[in-house]
Amino acid sequence: MTAVPAPPRPAAAAHPRRRHRLLIPLAVAVLLIVVTLVLHAVDQPDPDDPGFLSPVATGADGGSRLAAALRGQGVPVRRETDTERALAAARTGPSTLFVPAPDLVQPAVLRDLGYLPPGSRLVLVDPSRRAVDGLDLPLLPAGRRWATRVSTPDADGRPCPLPEAGRAGAAAAERQRYAVPADSAADRCYRGGLVRVPGRTEVVVIGASDPFRNDRIDEWGNRDLATGLLGGARPVVWLDLPGPEPAPTGPSASPTPGDGDRSGRGTGDGRDPGSDGREPDRAGERPPWDNPLWDAFPAWFWALLAQLALAGLLVLLWRARRLGPPVPEPLPVTVRSAETVLGRARLYRRAGARDSAAETLRAAARDRLLPRLNLPADAAPAEVAARVAAYTGDDPDRVAELLHGAAPENDQELLALARDLDALTRTVAHPTEGDDPR
Amino acid sequence: MTRRAALLLGLGAATLPAWPAPFLGVALMTGVVLLLVALDWALAVPLHALTATRDGDRTVRLDGTATVTLRLANGSDRTLYAQVRDAWVPSAGARPDVPPERVLTVEPGGVAALPVRLTPTRRGDRPAAALTVRSLGPLRLAFRQRAGRPGTPAWTLRALPRFDSRRHLPEKLSKLRIIDGVQVTRGRGQGTEFDTLREYVIGDDVRSIDWRASARRADVLVRTWRPERDRRLVCVLDTGRTAAVRVGDEPRLDTAIDAALLLTALAARAGDRVDLLAADATVRATVTGSGRPALLARLVDAVAPLQPALVETDFELIAGEVLRRERQRSLVVLFTALEPGALGEGLLPVLPRLAARHRVVLAATHDPVLTGLTAGPPATPDDAYAAAAAWRALAERERVRAALSRHGVTVVDAPADRLAPAVADTYLRLKSLGQL
Repeated sequence: MTAVPAPPRPAAAAHPRRRHRLLIPLAVAVLLIVVTLVLHAVDQPDPDDPGFLSPVATGADGGSRLAAALRGQGVPVRRETDTERALAAARTGPSTLFVPAPDLVQPAVLRDLGYLPPGSRLVLVDPSRRAVDGLDLPLLPAGRRWATRVSTPDADGRPCPLPEAGRAGAAAAERQRYAVPADSAADRCYRGGLVRVPGRTEVVVIGASDPFRNDRIDEWGNRDLATGLLGGARPVVWLDLPGPEPAPTGPSASPTPGDGDRSGRGTGDGRDPGSDGREPDRAGERPPWDNPLWDAFPAWFWALLAQLALAGLLVLLWRARRLGPPVPEPLPVTVRSAETVLGRARLYRRAGARDSAAETLRAAARDRLLPRLNLPADAAPAEVAARVAAYTGDDPDRVAELLHGAAPENDQELLALARDLDALTRTVAHPTEGDDPR
Repeated sequence: MTRRAALLLGLGAATLPAWPAPFLGVALMTGVVLLLVALDWALAVPLHALTATRDGDRTVRLDGTATVTLRLANGSDRTLYAQVRDAWVPSAGARPDVPPERVLTVEPGGVAALPVRLTPTRRGDRPAAALTVRSLGPLRLAFRQRAGRPGTPAWTLRALPRFDSRRHLPEKLSKLRIIDGVQVTRGRGQGTEFDTLREYVIGDDVRSIDWRASARRADVLVRTWRPERDRRLVCVLDTGRTAAVRVGDEPRLDTAIDAALLLTALAARAGDRVDLLAADATVRATVTGSGRPALLARLVDAVAPLQPALVETDFELIAGEVLRRERQRSLVVLFTALEPGALGEGLLPVLPRLAARHRVVLAATHDPVLTGLTAGPPATPDDAYAAAAAWRALAERERVRAALSRHGVTVVDAPADRLAPAVADTYLRLKSLGQL
């Protein structure tokens, strides 16, 4: 084995600043995202919270004001904290069964919620796909919004047949949207945030808890929508579950779980409390952490994967240890030649210093011409021009303009001047070469 | 761990479908492999039993190839299976004869020789950086490896300057001999000194007869003359920022070193004493000319590790050093750049002191880029501006040159490939004129 780790090497991080430049904005962005997510999670009411939409809870996400409003309209509100007892209460006659947290209801008893006396109504708040499937509703959870949206009942252009929604007007019902198959008789409002499924028991599904909550009930038409959905002539049975319902317990353990069990309970209306006993076996057979993928492959397959992962770990350990560190070396300094001269040329260009550039070129040309023509360094300009013109055969005025003229106006003139000076000095320096082109 | 351990575990995984209890099989096989790995690790030769030593070349001329052999001794009583990586700095151009991937086998008490061929790409000291030994177990399932064990035997290969101007040496030496010959036949004159008195023979120049000496003796004596010898020559290398400029494809310092080497070789042959001083803000290298035979070798060795530094050269320091070291009048050859800023502010203020005691020659590398900018007719406005800037730089150089000449300094301004012969010619001319 590699055994002993190497002693700490001299820090190879030569560019901590560059790394910081990259890491700090990333860290800030990650921090912002995390803070936003945490705040959102804290802000959103959770159906698991104690007192969530409870008729006796006066907190922000309680439902005491809704209960008071219902009672004010003369609707009797009966609070039940147990599904079986709520079902028993609802089955005494046509009533409204209000389930604010359908996901807390045991899956096995979920279907029973749909078997209520004719004329009853079942109101579910934000049921998950599991709850929708458990009730065999012709719905599908479609999209979920980041936050609840206030909209009018016919916001997506389709008329809303629910009179309660029509009375309420704009309300905050759209968070979870539900899609309705085209051939079903279900009515949808608020872009799918509110769906009514007619049947023996009318089921109303609403995608947001806002219209029922103490903190939001007074906004928009929330109060009218909530009291409209729950009110009417029927008494309200309010299923206020304090948490995930424990699996019902009972003496009669049945080895055959599933449909037979359910159908037996579904038909027998009055003996619900007695059916608790079927639950523990099913719970024991299929614990919540159990993944059906386990059984899809033989055990050796998983063992093989595990061993290959271990082998991969060994490969990592093998590759992770290098045969000695990379060798650093200070590089010699290099300075490009004529760096300052070229830099000065660019400065001339940027500053548009045509006058000083032209004067430098002219001075250099004079310095080359004067010794050739045996003139002193302080010769008068006119004399210089005359001698040069006499030597080359050019027009003296033109030579005088070239050697002592005005500063050029633009870059092209400067270029022409530089070329002419070059040609002139070349002609004087090498008369034979210069004569040929002319 | 090595590849084999992972391979063993991976192959073992293929047998898992046949196991009655696969997860037990995983645990069992992992345990066995880990046990084997641990066993193999325990059987690997411990690193402290190994000792590494080196021998081989200490110096190599640039572009040449040196061989340094690493000897790895196995002091344990087990056979050593090892991978060895002997890392040198990249510019040393190391090519090990035994690639690091190959697994060596060294018997107990044996020694493995691992030659490394080095072709340095840069002048200067090229050190061996790190030795890494990976001692594998007999099954090659595990290895022992630890940084710094066995310790890296220190070794530095000195890449000497190329001395390209060596090819000019025969020609310059023949010139030197001509000077010698001319001086001897011409007799007394500039650049000669009194050698001996000897008896007159027919054919000697009668003007050489030393009448005063003849009067003391019965014979007629003539004086003989020979070229001046034992003159003093100081090469000063400027290693400051101007030496870092790349002229052609090498820094100016390398050109200067080349020229200084040719000058030293020539002067040593002419019987002069050569000192060398390399300095920028501090003194980088000094060589004094005693011990004449090995002078060139010592000089090469001293200048090899010199590198240009991005600091302004302290000519005050250089002048002080030269004045302190050289009591007699000497020829001071200053290898630097003809740059108005550096020389105007640094050298000119101290030049009078230096020039009063010594004869100063300034050797500078001419920048071919400037000549290129000013030579042809400009094609674009950018060229015109560049030509103006180049003319201005040339004019400034000319001013510096004039200022230096006023102090009696001879300026040698030549392109990089002509600098060494130009400096040698200047030396020969001064010698023939007896101005040393």
